[in-house]
Amino acid sequence: MTARQFAVASAADIKWIMNSAALLRRRLRYNASEARWWGFVRLLTEAIGLPLKTAAATATASLTVTRSSVPVTVSADPSHSASIVVDFARYQSIFLGNLSRALVHETPKRRGRPPRLVAGRHALSSANRYGVDLGLIQSALARTPAQRLAMLEANSLFLREMRRKPR
Amino acid sequence: MLGGLITSRVRFVVVGGLAAAAHGSSRVTNDLDICYDALDGDNLVALTGLLASWKAYPRGVETGLPFIMDDCTLRGAPILTLTSTEGDIDVMDRIAGVGPYSDVRKHSEKVTALGVSFRVLDLPSLIKAKRAAGRPRDFEHLPELEALLALSKRKSAT
Repeated sequence: MTARQFAVASAADIKWIMNSAALLRRRLRYNASEARWWGFVRLLTEAIGLPLKTAAATATASLTVTRSSVPVTVSADPSHSASIVVDFARYQSIFLGNLSRALVHETPKRRGRPPRLVAGRHALSSANRYGVDLGLIQSALARTPAQRLAMLEANSLFLREMRRKPR
Repeated sequence: MLGGLITSRVRFVVVGGLAAAAHGSSRVTNDLDICYDALDGDNLVALTGLLASWKAYPRGVETGLPFIMDDCTLRGAPILTLTSTEGDIDVMDRIAGVGPYSDVRKHSEKVTALGVSFRVLDLPSLIKAKRAAGRPRDFEHLPELEALLALSKRKSAT
């Protein structure tokens, strides 16, 4: 997992994570369980306004103990007039959504300067050099969007069948 | 999937590979990428209700963990990459390089195909989105999309 993926999975800014890790003297490891912990700390500091050290202690206590599908009180004053209630199932759902996005969608970007935007005749020659079959594009343009999508569906079905059946 | 989204009255625009195919790309895609209207609470309820009925679950993560598919989860994680009984679906509240749903819809066009009518992101915006995403797989797709744009402009000029 890259730093960016870690930040997306935690729903937190990477700078905030780095600064907070330094304050807490916590070694940063870019993995899913750490992302879940940092995401929870961020939630407690941002949404509830807990101080960082209290949020970190609460996150450690709740994430190691709580596996409940119903909301659980993780911190309360002795009189129970004020408490923090955690809906673990909800947090887990949001975290899994963010983790999936980080792993599937936020794959590392290409390094360096992006290629220049090409248009017109240059776009055609550039595509040709790249290996794009311009004849295929021209024949696709001769079809209606409905025909193009019907062809995509047929090709997609063919690929699925090919993967399913052993050779 | 498209039929289900339309029947459930979800406000969405098709982006990604299916939109590229609608414009003439020859790349085969198996998943559906949509941008949904995140400002409309009823739309979130309709979309998440449909995804829950399809047993949608985040892709690429440990399976079997508790996952609540409802509007609160979508508010907390507005971009979801999901697998479902109907196939893989990515839902996004905004598209990099284009903007939120309102901007995406402005840069979309209506298509009637596969027995339903829906909106797809237009080709220039699709190119912008691919460039903004910046992943190697997006850049690999750019030469074909730019050639498609050049040829379709040439075709409409004649």
